[in-house]
Amino acid sequence: MKLSTYLSLGLVALVLGVLIVFQFRVTRHIEQGVPAGRAQELALELRQLEKDKSKLGAEANDLSLKLEQVTRGQTEAEKALKDELAKARLLAGLVPVTGPGIELTLDNPPQQAGGRGPASLYAIRDEDLLRVINELRGAGAEALSINGQRIVAHTEIRWAAPFINVNLTRIVPPYHILAIGKPDNLKSALEIPGGLVEYLQDLGVQVKIQPYDRLTIPGYSRTTEFRYAKPVVKG
Amino acid sequence: MWLGIWLAVAGLVLGVLLGLNIPLVLPQVYAKYLSVAALAALDSVFGGIRAAMEDQFDNTVFISGFFSNALLAAGLAFIGERLGIDLYLAAVVAFGVRLFQNLAIIRRHLFEKLK
Repeated sequence: MKLSTYLSLGLVALVLGVLIVFQFRVTRHIEQGVPAGRAQELALELRQLEKDKSKLGAEANDLSLKLEQVTRGQTEAEKALKDELAKARLLAGLVPVTGPGIELTLDNPPQQAGGRGPASLYAIRDEDLLRVINELRGAGAEALSINGQRIVAHTEIRWAAPFINVNLTRIVPPYHILAIGKPDNLKSALEIPGGLVEYLQDLGVQVKIQPYDRLTIPGYSRTTEFRYAKPVVKG
Repeated sequence: MWLGIWLAVAGLVLGVLLGLNIPLVLPQVYAKYLSVAALAALDSVFGGIRAAMEDQFDNTVFISGFFSNALLAAGLAFIGERLGIDLYLAAVVAFGVRLFQNLAIIRRHLFEKLK
């Protein structure tokens, strides 16, 4: 045989050996791993999941941003609501208030020893208190109380002999009326010639007006329930 | 003759060593092509042995047959994959049948020689 034949035989055997061993190795590799089709499928799935993941991550970022905004908005809204509520409570007279004002003390005329007639004839009546309150309101009083009872929108001042009821609470003389407002205005409104103080003094009532730089009026302490009145729904 | 056999065995051993030591693993996708190519190559080798026993061995035919069969088998498998038909089965069947036939003929020649 010629040399080239031997060479070609050797070459062919070499190529065959490489081929077969390669195939062996690949097959063993396949047995260790997953089948090719499955691997492709899994790779595809992985890519899809990665895409999904990045999309979901972006969505999560977006949502957390929105949540943050909403939370910020909520705290602002909460603050606004609280401010509003505090204002409403202040207006309704539910909270104690402090400020400059006057204290007006009214007391019944002293009982004359062995005096004639019933003392109640000259006693301070609910009308008197009402007029005082009205006058003070007219003079710009922002908060009022009688003997610790805050005067609010639904406060009654009513003669319930032999007492006066304010906020369904009996009060007895001497009546201490606290009013927050400009002390000078309040005082002058009461002391105007021919005004209330003069009138009450004429009746024999002891009147004392004391301005204060700072006095505190308690809040309305009862709970208020509206059982019949309902707000009108505007629509 | 014996020199040829020894050369072939030496080439085979060298090829195995080479294949074991090449730090390269074919992707699994190509495993199918490689397997059919190896089958075709094996078929060619058996055909060559048979031809040698019949004293009809032609080196050119052998070499060309070896490579063209391997390439054709791999190509068939590749095209079959692309077309969605398991065309490599055709190569497997054809080469398998021929392998057995060649083996049978080689066996008979060996028996005749031994008699």
